[in-house]
Amino acid sequence: MNKLNFEHGSFRDPAGKIFYRKDGVYRELSESGIKRFTFLKKDNLINDLIKEKFLIFTEECGEKSNENFGIDKKKLLLKHDKINFISYPYEWTFTQLKDAALFHLDLQIYLLNRKAKLIDASAYNIQFKNNRPIFIDILSIDEYEEGEYWYAHKQFCENFLNPLVLSAKKGIKFNNWFRGNLEGVYTHEIEPLLGIKDFLSPTLFFHVYLLNKFEEKSKIDPKKANNKISSLKKFTKKAYQNLLNQLRDYIKSLNNKKTISNWDKYSEKNTYNSKEEERKLNIIKNFIDENNPKFLGDLGCNDGKYSEYASKKKEINVVGVDFDLNVLDRAYIKSKNQNLNFFPIFADFSNPSNGLGWNEVERKSFLKRSKFDAIIALALIHHLVIAKNIPLEQVLKWLTSLAPTGLIEFVPKNDPTSQIMLKLKGDIFPEYTEEKFAENLSKLANIKKISLVTNTERKIYEYSIK
Amino acid sequence: MQYAYNNNILPLKMKFIQIFFFLYFLFNYNHAYAYIDPGTGGILLQALLGIVAAVGAYITLYWRKFKNFINKIFKVKKKD
Repeated sequence: MNKLNFEHGSFRDPAGKIFYRKDGVYRELSESGIKRFTFLKKDNLINDLIKEKFLIFTEECGEKSNENFGIDKKKLLLKHDKINFISYPYEWTFTQLKDAALFHLDLQIYLLNRKAKLIDASAYNIQFKNNRPIFIDILSIDEYEEGEYWYAHKQFCENFLNPLVLSAKKGIKFNNWFRGNLEGVYTHEIEPLLGIKDFLSPTLFFHVYLLNKFEEKSKIDPKKANNKISSLKKFTKKAYQNLLNQLRDYIKSLNNKKTISNWDKYSEKNTYNSKEEERKLNIIKNFIDENNPKFLGDLGCNDGKYSEYASKKKEINVVGVDFDLNVLDRAYIKSKNQNLNFFPIFADFSNPSNGLGWNEVERKSFLKRSKFDAIIALALIHHLVIAKNIPLEQVLKWLTSLAPTGLIEFVPKNDPTSQIMLKLKGDIFPEYTEEKFAENLSKLANIKKISLVTNTERKIYEYSIK
Repeated sequence: MQYAYNNNILPLKMKFIQIFFFLYFLFNYNHAYAYIDPGTGGILLQALLGIVAAVGAYITLYWRKFKNFINKIFKVKKKD
């Protein structure tokens, strides 16, 4: 019997543990987990949640599976659908986090009407199925008792409200902050950044300014604060619903503060013409037709032009990765509006998400989650080699480790974009030549095809791992 | 005499501004860095929001009643 490797991120709740198999995600429930699951089955709540597309598809496995996996008979085994690419809030764009926040509130409002509640407000419990948020942690749902307060309010503010406000009001992207602190943005961190004008909004006044003051008071005298809480009147369901609806209206009204980014206008102002563009699209089409990948990584996806094209060509799921949050947000909105099988996420390849949280494995590194059937890396490598000074050999080693096959575009030094990069830096990259590129790539993989893209000698190399 | 408020929204907005400045100065003391308690502040805030909502609802209710009362008087006078 193979030993079960439980997910490192699922240790916080003793009610259940996760492990993975090729056909799905399995969850082992302990006694307290079974109690929560029994509540979920009451009045068909779980099936309604799945039908309403709130909850990931979940089914009971039956006792035989317990035997197969060597799990104690007293425990209950569930099976969930697998998510193509697990992502974390620090890899989301503004609109993705905003959609996740609205989704969380909608789910809470729905649950309250069914005498249920969410016991936490962790953004990590929401994942994206291409362009649609979905709730993955069934054990976060429990019975609601009339008069209860929203105990996860603080967590909601830290995970959703504060990062969104940071972006919307101050133009500070929340991603690096969130990655630095997995709990999000603390209220006492954002409060000093906001001014009187911001606090004229009742939501910010109550949920940031006053909340911070209350938190400070409880820090000074926690005993007094606790006594006060135990003498409080019950919080009516109506007040609970009002609170959720008010936050929902406020978050819905938030817009990302416009900032200027390097690649904002890239797809409109790039340096190749429409004929060259068509050539590129044709190369991608042929590559997909020949290789039939089910899961494609578009590295340096910009606003998702090629991802969109690829996801329309075949029944494939595309994950697009870029480090420009402005263009990524546009890509996400496009994927949403056109309902594409395309999920854009944020990563800076010279510093992608590492293993984080408890024991450095609670949240997995970008590399650990990136196993694609194929990749396309168009107009990318010169940004890593010339702009970030990463040796060509290392860039190719990294790229070829992500998928067994792919397309890599080589952009020569005489190309206008390379020239801009080299102008200020000076040419300190004698190794960056097509000859060296081909030589290094052929050490790692078989070069299957070389296609010319532009008259400045941009070329796309198709490779497959040896 | 012309009234400054010709709808219900303006007095409510004024009320918020009054509450805002009252609470702003009430809590405007130096930052404290002590033991961190999870969520206590959030519960106290919700209790306050519950009270604010209840007071708001009462004000709206009595304001409506008062308006209906006034309207009734005028209607009665018109009939006369």
